[in-house]
Order: sequence, then structure tokens, then C-alpha cells
Amino acid sequence: MRVLASLLPGANLGLPGETAFDSIPLPSEPARTISTIVIESGPMRAHRVFEPPEGGFVAFLDGTQASRVLYASEAGVPIVHGTAAAVVRERRSKRLYTWRHVVRHRLYAARSRLQPALWTGLLESGIELRDTSDRDEDALPLGDHPFALRDAAIHLLQKDRETAEIELAAEWCAREAKPLLIDGGISGSERVAASPCAIGIVKTHRTLYAEGDALAQILSLRRGERSSVFRITSPKRATVASWYLRLRDRSGADPMWGLVRVEIAHPERTEEHGIGARADDASRWILAEVAPIALPDSRWDKMVYGIRDCEEFLRAVM
Amino acid sequence: MHDEQAAALGRVVATERKPNTPHEFHFWTALDSPVGIGTIVRVDGDQAVNGQLPRIYGIVVEGFSYTDLQTPLHDVLGHDGTPAGASLAATKRAEIRLYSAAVLRQVPEEPLQPVPMGEVFLADDQDVAIALRMDGYLREDARTGIPVGVYRAGGTDAPIYLDADFLLGPEAAHLNITGVSGLATKTSAIEWILSSIFAHFPAQKGSVAALCFNVKGPDLCFLDKPGEIDAADRALYDKCGVPARPFESVQYFAPYKPDGFSLNTLRSNEALLENVTSLTWGLREVLQYAEVLLNKDDVDAKADALIDFIRERVVDREFQDAMLGNRRYFVKSFADLEDWFRDVLSALEGKNSEGWRTHHIATIRKVRNRLSNISTRCAGLVTDSGNVSDLPFGSFEDRTVYVIDVASLDEAAQDLIFARVVTRLREHLEKRDLGVNHVVVFVDELNKYAPSDGQDTYVRKMLLDLAERGRYLGLVLFSAQQFRSQVHRRVVGNSGTALYGRMDADELATPGYSVLSPAVKTKLATLEKGQLMVRHPHFTQPIFVRFPRPAVMRGRDGAERYPQAGDVDLETAVLRSLRTLDPSLTLGWVRDAIGIRDDDEVIRARNAVLRERPADVRKAFTAQLRPVVAAESASRPSGPPLRTAPSDDPYGF
Repeated sequence: MRVLASLLPGANLGLPGETAFDSIPLPSEPARTISTIVIESGPMRAHRVFEPPEGGFVAFLDGTQASRVLYASEAGVPIVHGTAAAVVRERRSKRLYTWRHVVRHRLYAARSRLQPALWTGLLESGIELRDTSDRDEDALPLGDHPFALRDAAIHLLQKDRETAEIELAAEWCAREAKPLLIDGGISGSERVAASPCAIGIVKTHRTLYAEGDALAQILSLRRGERSSVFRITSPKRATVASWYLRLRDRSGADPMWGLVRVEIAHPERTEEHGIGARADDASRWILAEVAPIALPDSRWDKMVYGIRDCEEFLRAVM
Repeated sequence: MHDEQAAALGRVVATERKPNTPHEFHFWTALDSPVGIGTIVRVDGDQAVNGQLPRIYGIVVEGFSYTDLQTPLHDVLGHDGTPAGASLAATKRAEIRLYSAAVLRQVPEEPLQPVPMGEVFLADDQDVAIALRMDGYLREDARTGIPVGVYRAGGTDAPIYLDADFLLGPEAAHLNITGVSGLATKTSAIEWILSSIFAHFPAQKGSVAALCFNVKGPDLCFLDKPGEIDAADRALYDKCGVPARPFESVQYFAPYKPDGFSLNTLRSNEALLENVTSLTWGLREVLQYAEVLLNKDDVDAKADALIDFIRERVVDREFQDAMLGNRRYFVKSFADLEDWFRDVLSALEGKNSEGWRTHHIATIRKVRNRLSNISTRCAGLVTDSGNVSDLPFGSFEDRTVYVIDVASLDEAAQDLIFARVVTRLREHLEKRDLGVNHVVVFVDELNKYAPSDGQDTYVRKMLLDLAERGRYLGLVLFSAQQFRSQVHRRVVGNSGTALYGRMDADELATPGYSVLSPAVKTKLATLEKGQLMVRHPHFTQPIFVRFPRPAVMRGRDGAERYPQAGDVDLETAVLRSLRTLDPSLTLGWVRDAIGIRDDDEVIRARNAVLRERPADVRKAFTAQLRPVVAAESASRPSGPPLRTAPSDDPYGF
């Protein structure tokens, strides 16, 4: 802010606390269903996790991001301040301690739309700059709409947050062989997705990996039940094995209540027969994490306490 | 030097809702930190003020613990209402230990600012000395520290010192201790502190003695006998530099029982009588304090005038009056006074007069009745005969404890003893001829002697005077009671130093304790034996210390080991008394010496010998007894000799 004020004397800079700058909503993806291939024997169905829950995770990983528009030029080109952070919290004697964390502050702006002198000035100030006009080849062209420019910054920040998470997950898997529960999918990194120690837990279900009867089976899962394991593939992401798991009794009309999707490394073809047992073990570990309850977080039905603890930590250090 | 390697045990925190101030700050610690209520900590600020990094010393006065739960209901929901399920959870909730500390001292002291953020360390010995401003009176060249106990927390064992200038005067003085009964805290603490004073009172401040009133049981009856202490106590003695041994010089004083010859004390075992002296006073000693014994309803202005007349014109001097036929009176005892009264009243009745020298006959009768009654009410202490055996005013000795056992006495007699002894002490200290420069007077059960309510008594007035003016003379009051709130405010308010043992919850709820935090009150209500909370002028906040058991025999143990002598006859009582001067005396000799003399005469002789302590006890005792005319066998008067019968006269004619 001080750098900007010196570079843009008299400019109307955003102040912390102003609503428009404080929280920029992430662009939401459309709700959809995708059919998948079940890799566990038989069709998609519910599997009771019979063995009692057992704490198997040694650490938890989560990342978060925060952004606010610091300045918008006369032409509406925003300069966004973004913070991406991630942490691994290790459990020792039932208490969680920070294993490692990263916090990165950056400015996000479309270089091609800013005055060169301003870009150079920001660059010389030592602040790390990210150019949102530097787009992938297959990305849509960056329009002139100020919201489009802002969304581009947010997407880039989102990538940076994923990078931080992957960095920590990869480091954990390289140094520790014990299970790590990651908030979100693990398919963003080939290395992490292939690691037997990484288990991802996805709480949002804008995309459901089942259709028809298979989807009905998933939505009717009861507490302590999991779906059959299926394969998720994507051109830009690693292939992983996944299944749905109901953590809490579905109450009311919300079919997603207490429903999470779990991702683990996809087994080799020769080891696919054992994926059911692996899913059972991981499900038991996750079911063991429903206590303590993650309240007052609004997503407490799907959130495990270790992940909430990571979020609280990141909220404190960001 | 501070141990720079010592790890921080906490960090100062402040929020808008809970900000730090110049007198209070907050910090958090790890869950396993040794911090507790009463722990002294040091904060190292990292922002220099006037070129100096601030250091703040504080004492923990409140503690908080909470988790990230918003409501207890969330925990219930999280475990489906089954408490046992909580222990099965793989993770424990994030939890905080948050403490509030009251500032003891800021360095530098100016400018006085709110406590800055910084790391918090456990105070070491040096920190404790600085925090409590003891560094000012523990300097090698001007050391006036008197150990009161040891502060103990997280591995720190630091002796805590009181400043003799503020404990025994002249800057401030007096000590008051409060605590529930039955834990032996109050008496033990006083005994310990007296030991500490005797060991550490600075030579440049002169001599010091203690005078204790034993008001209940055998508490103070065995101060010269060793008691049992354990290794932990010895360590505390060593830490404080106080010898773990009983008092070397103790003198006991006790009145007689109403029989006039048995000592009225629990220290009456024959093996302990060598330093027990009787305490008896006559008319002159008592009349000066008549108002102690006579309540205000009795002694109106007229009666007071007559008592003054008797005191000034009759007692201890020759008195003549025309109405009394110019008979010469020498009133020295209650018995003499009774004779005098009888003659005055007879003369008035004979003349059918209602007044004499402006005094109405009714007033004379009333005063006679009240004064004559004193020797009955205080029998054993006050003698009809005028015999006096008193404390050694004028020859008090340094580091000596004088104990007056008043435990078994009538309340009036206790008041009389207290009033007269304290007055005499004050008079001698004013004249600087007591024998010592400072006297600590210990009074237990202050609730009774200086209550906050009730009528104004002579004893309460004396205690107030002692509390307010004693420090200038070197007359220091150490007092104890169960309920501080029920003691006159000026007495406890003038006590520069206050000690608190375990407290009653009801007492802690009274307004006098409102300055203490709830956590400190809780600690006070649960203090274990041997712990005290100390307030002292140099300490800006109360401090918790441990003190050792006194190295003297406890009253209960002493009473078992040295049982009280049973009631004995006069000869045995005399023998026991005189044997302290001459162990070779036997009961047979005493019986022979006493013979057929009456009790009063024997007692008078015994008291005279004890007072004079002659080298030849036998000779002195018999000399005090009136000679008895030796019994002679009556000789038959010799009549005229019988004529012998003529040998030739068979009929005797």
C-alpha cells in the first residue's frame, strides 16, 4: 500500500475493511455430473465400513488464499493483493503442531494494461508481481471487463495456493511416509497423486462423479458407508482413485450433508483388487476424525477437525 | 547475570477487548508450562524507550483456559452426548492457557507505559529481588532484610525478605496475620518470623526482644524446647539463613491460681520451672489501671474522683484525717485499703454524715465494693498482701522471648495484664531504659481484644495507640486473628506487613478482600500448611511464600511430654518453687520450716525468696518466717517438801 501510494500520489487506494475489497468471491463452476469407471469389483454400490474408526492420520494439510483490490486505474484495471498460504499440522500426543507452513504475499495485475512506469515501479519496490495477462495458450483471451481482469487475478492466486499446498504435500511425502490428510483433491500434482501417504478429502460437490443409478447409490449413502471406488481421470490432472463417504447421518433435505469424496493414489493395474480394503482403511481413518466436531465452521458436517485447525492457523498467520 | 539460555515460557498478548495497561498485562503459555497463580514473571520488551529496552516484572493473578468451541453445546453434539466418547477422539481441541499478571515493577520506571508485547520468562532469584524492590535493602552495605519465606515456582527458589525498617520501624511497622484456626499457621508463622528476626535483625539497629501473650492452650509454652522438623524444613531454614533451633533465651511468666501458690500455666511441669516466674501485683500496680477492670457504668465522674483521691493521697503514703481520729494509715495492699474503707465508713455512720471530703457515702461504698472485688476477680494475679513479682522492666535482654501465659485467666485479669505490661513497655521505651531498643509484642485473637464493633475498651484503645504510635518508640505489634474483617480497621490498617494463611470463604467475601482477584482468593482458600500470602510496603502485589515449621516443640507435643503439674498442697508448691533456686531442698525440710505457720505467711516468704533469689535459700526462707517461740515443757511447781514420818510414829503424826 505504501509503495502504491508513493507511485500513485493522490490515487484513491483501497483501505482494509472496505467491503468491496475485503472479500472477492471466487468464480463458481457450474454443477455437473460425470460418469466414471468403477475399479472396485461390481457396480457402484454402498459399502459398510465395518471396522471401528481408527486414527490413522499423522498430519493434515490445508491451504487458503485472501485477496483484495488495492487500486483500479482510470480504465478499471485492478491491482490485486493476494496472499496464498498453506500449512501441514502434525499430530503428536493428540495435539496438533505446525510441521511447516508457507505464506506468500504478491501483487496481481495485467502488465499489458498498466502504465509501464507503474509496473516498473512496483517491480523495483521488491514486491513479487504476477502478470495476469500472461495466459496459457488454450485460455480464453483476457477481455476488457474489469471483473474479468479481477477474476484472472483470483484464478492466478488460486493456482499459487495450489502450488503452495502441493509443495508442502510433496515435501511431506518425500520426508515422511506416514498418512497425510489433505483438504481437497490430490490430482493437481503427479508426484503427490502417486504417493501412498497422501489422501485427499473433497467437501464441495459442484461436480459429482456418477450418473443415474450410481448417483442415486451415492446420494443414499448412510453414515459410515462409502461408495465403490472409481477412477477419476482428467487431461490436465493426475489419475486418482476416489470414493464417496458419508461422515454424518443425512438430516433434512440436503443430499450432500456429511458427504465427502476421498482421493488416493490410483493403484497399479495388478493391485486394483486390493483397492476396496485400502478404501475401507482410509474411510476408518477419516471417520475417526469427525470428533472433535469442527463447529463453529459452517461446513462442520463435512470438515474434519484437523483441517479446521489448519484453517485457524492460517487465519492467525496471514 | 540472567541465564540468557533460559527459554521463553510465554508471549504477551493484548487485544482491543483485553488490552495491556501499565498495571496489568496478559500472556499465553504452552499447556505444560509451570506458570500458576502467584508465579512471578519477567517480560523483555523489544522496543527501546529512551534508549533502554524495558523490562517488566509481574505476578500472575488470574488464569484462563478455553478452546476454539463457541458453545459447550457444540462439544455435546460432537460426542453425541456421550462424555466417554470424547476420550476416543484422535485429536484434542486447540486450547489456550491465558494468564493475567499484575505489574510488580517496570524498569525503567519512567515513563510509565502500558506493558509492551514481548517474550515472557520465569523470574529467577535476581528477577524476584528486583521485582519486589528487595534490591534496595539487600545491599551489602545497608542490609536490612528479614527472611519471611521462600518463593517457589518452576524451579526458582528465592528467599523473600521483609525490610526491617518497615517491619520493626521506624518507616513502618507492625505485622498482622490472618487465617483459619486449626492449621497451626498463625502461631507457627509468628514463631518462624521471630526466629528470623533474631537471626537477621541488623546489628546497627540495636537490640530486639519479643513479648508474647499466650492466650490459648499451650501454643507458646515450649519455645525453648526443640521440635521435629523434616528435611524440607531444613532446606528452607538453610535457604533463609536462619538456624533451625529453638529460641535460646525464653522467660515465662504466669500468675498463680486462686489458691495463691500453684502456677496457673500449662508450663507447670517441675522439669520446666527453671525459667518460669510468677506474675503477681499488689494494690499500687493495679490501682493505676483500675479503669481496665471497672466498667464505665460503675465508674462515673464521682467514683473516678474518689479513685484518683485514693491513688494520689492514700496509697503508698501516710494518711491522716481528723474524722478518723488522726490515726496514721499506710495503705500498701488491698487488705490495708479494706481497713481504711471500713474506718472511713464507720466514722461517717458514727457521725450520721452523708459526705466526706466532697465524696458521698454512696460513692465511697460503691468504690469500696468495686476495688475490693478486684482482688477476688483477679485472685492469683492480684494479691491482698501487696506482694509484687513482675517482668524485668529495665533489664530486658537482647534476642529474648518473654512469654506471659494468660490462657487460663479471667478476661478481666487478661485485660489488666495486657494494659499494664504494654504501658510499662511504652514508658520504658520512651525513657530508653527498657534494656532493649525494640520489643515485638505478639497478641493472638485480636478479634477479641480489638474488635471492629462493640464498646470502646481500654485494651482496644491501647492497641490502637500501639498500632499508631508504637513504631516511633520501637514498640511493635505482631497480631493474629481468624477474621481480619472483624478487627478494628486502624489496628490492621497500621500493620505495614500483612500475612494471610488459609482463609475462610466467608471472610474472603468481605469487602476488605475485593482488591484480590478471584483466582488469588481461590488460592488463599486452599493454601496448604506452611504457605502464606505476604503484603509488605515494598511489594506492590501480594506474594506467596513457603515457610518452615518452627524448630520449637509444638504446644500439643509439649503438653504430652511435659504434663501440667496437678494441684498440690502448699508445702509441695513451695518446694517446687524454691527448688528452682536450690535443687537440694526436700519436702521434709520445707515441712519442718513451715511448721504451723499460716498459708499467707508462707506464701509471702516464698515470694520474697523468689524475688530476691538469694544464694542461701534455706536461710533466706526461714528468715522470712516469723520466729516461733520454742515449745517448753511445763515444770511442776515445787511445793513444800513432805515431812518424813518419824520412824517411831507409825501413824505419821
